[in-house]
Amino acid sequence: MAKIVILGAGISGHVAATHLRRKLSKKHEVVVVSPNSNYQWVPSNIWVGIGRMKSEKIYFPLAPLYKKKGIGYKQAKAISFHPEGDSTEAKPYVLSEYVVGDEKGKQEKITYDYLINSTGPKLNFEATEGLIPGKNKAYSVCTYTHADHAWEGLKAVIEQMKAGKKAKILIGTGHAKSTCQGAAFEYILNVEQELRKHNVRDMAEVTWISNEYQLGDFGMDGMLMSYGSLTMKSHEMIEMIFEDRDIKWILGAGVNKIEDGVAHYENLEGEHKSESYDFAMLIPSFSGHGFKAYDKNDNDITEKLFKGFMLVDADYTSKPYEEWSVRDWPETYQNPSYKNIFAPGIAFAPPHAISKPRKSKNGTDISPAPPRTGMPSGITAKLVADNIIDTIKNGKESSHHKGSLGNMGAACIASAGFGFWKGSGVSITTFPIVPDFKKYPDSHGRHLGKTFGAIGLAGHWLKLMLHYAFIYKAKMRPFWWLIPE
Amino acid sequence: MKRISPRMRFRMMNPVLQFFKFIILSIKIMVIVAGGHGGTRKVN
Repeated sequence: MAKIVILGAGISGHVAATHLRRKLSKKHEVVVVSPNSNYQWVPSNIWVGIGRMKSEKIYFPLAPLYKKKGIGYKQAKAISFHPEGDSTEAKPYVLSEYVVGDEKGKQEKITYDYLINSTGPKLNFEATEGLIPGKNKAYSVCTYTHADHAWEGLKAVIEQMKAGKKAKILIGTGHAKSTCQGAAFEYILNVEQELRKHNVRDMAEVTWISNEYQLGDFGMDGMLMSYGSLTMKSHEMIEMIFEDRDIKWILGAGVNKIEDGVAHYENLEGEHKSESYDFAMLIPSFSGHGFKAYDKNDNDITEKLFKGFMLVDADYTSKPYEEWSVRDWPETYQNPSYKNIFAPGIAFAPPHAISKPRKSKNGTDISPAPPRTGMPSGITAKLVADNIIDTIKNGKESSHHKGSLGNMGAACIASAGFGFWKGSGVSITTFPIVPDFKKYPDSHGRHLGKTFGAIGLAGHWLKLMLHYAFIYKAKMRPFWWLIPE
Repeated sequence: MKRISPRMRFRMMNPVLQFFKFIILSIKIMVIVAGGHGGTRKVN
């Protein structure tokens, strides 16, 4: 009998738990440890943030589902990792603390045979002074509660515009090293469309602010893509969309301070500038959770498990951009020191960025961190689960399920406006996610036939279909496993 | 600045044309995303 403990119940944690439970017999224990009581389908936060979808539509409680399906669930947060046990506990364990109910504050050593760390990122708002969701007229859409607040803020500004007051709207990244430009891109297009629906578009100045060097970088070094019969660069496509919608842009901007209605930033020229706004949605930087790890003698071994995020089978050798290789990226998401610990999704430490790193003339790093969105999170979680299942069933370590971001495709269906007949979406697929310049030397590291963009109503339908399909899958409804990650 | 022509916009928002686009996009995305993944380090 094996016990698999999964930390986190986001996309990767939930995917791993559901596949493990489906494929392993009940004599094996699957336990999810998460401080959150709900599963949320994060990509639909965008629609919550424009008031087009109630937040209740994108989440559901985990406890009843896990009870019904035979998955253990502890609403607790991880405190520290003890992969060798300690003087009183022979098995490896994670020290966790319950966050609700009668047991709130109680700590427990949760032992495991296999550990999947899918704790995702910490939303590091503290890294930007004054960037606090709901304060200083700045908001976030990173969680459904943040998105609810963002809609309240946006609604108030729309009402002011209806009363005749002009407004400035600023959307993008809130730190020099932020990622997730795609989410901000979706949000700015949706906000712009909402302003038109409310007949106040001419009252608003809408501005994109980002740490990208060029539009359409998305933390993926940009893309060369097929668009209809054309081949174009992603920055040309996004430029076309922004110009068509009269959205201004500020690039190479490392936002470093937020005051009430003012974003201060440094640009790649080394200039310190500021941009005023009446409503802002700025994505924070992501960081690891700051977990500590200890060996059986209670010595600190954090560096064996973490480098901010968790260390896995990547090549972490420091090297210049020109020497970066697709082979640096992990394949099995297994910790090299403790082979029974895995970190799929966003929890693993990337070997380096994907976009070319850039510094301002003052030496400040201003470039996007690598994005790791829902689709790769699900795929990497499933392959980790499959390797654990094979190891348990075969009785020897198995790691033949592999999925490097350098050999994996992803689709980014960016909503560009809500509405079954009037909606729009920008569909961008890319293969591979991390460019492989040796395999595809003439197309910026990617397969042109599989890297394409499309704009239109179909994109909105696709995004809506994915919303319902993935919530159906997450609820483990009949034949849920037939829906791919 | 209008960068998308009326003809292009019509094609982007026409439900009939976009229905076919939706089918094609769904298949293409399924092929790319569910079409497999693997490692990068062992080259045959």
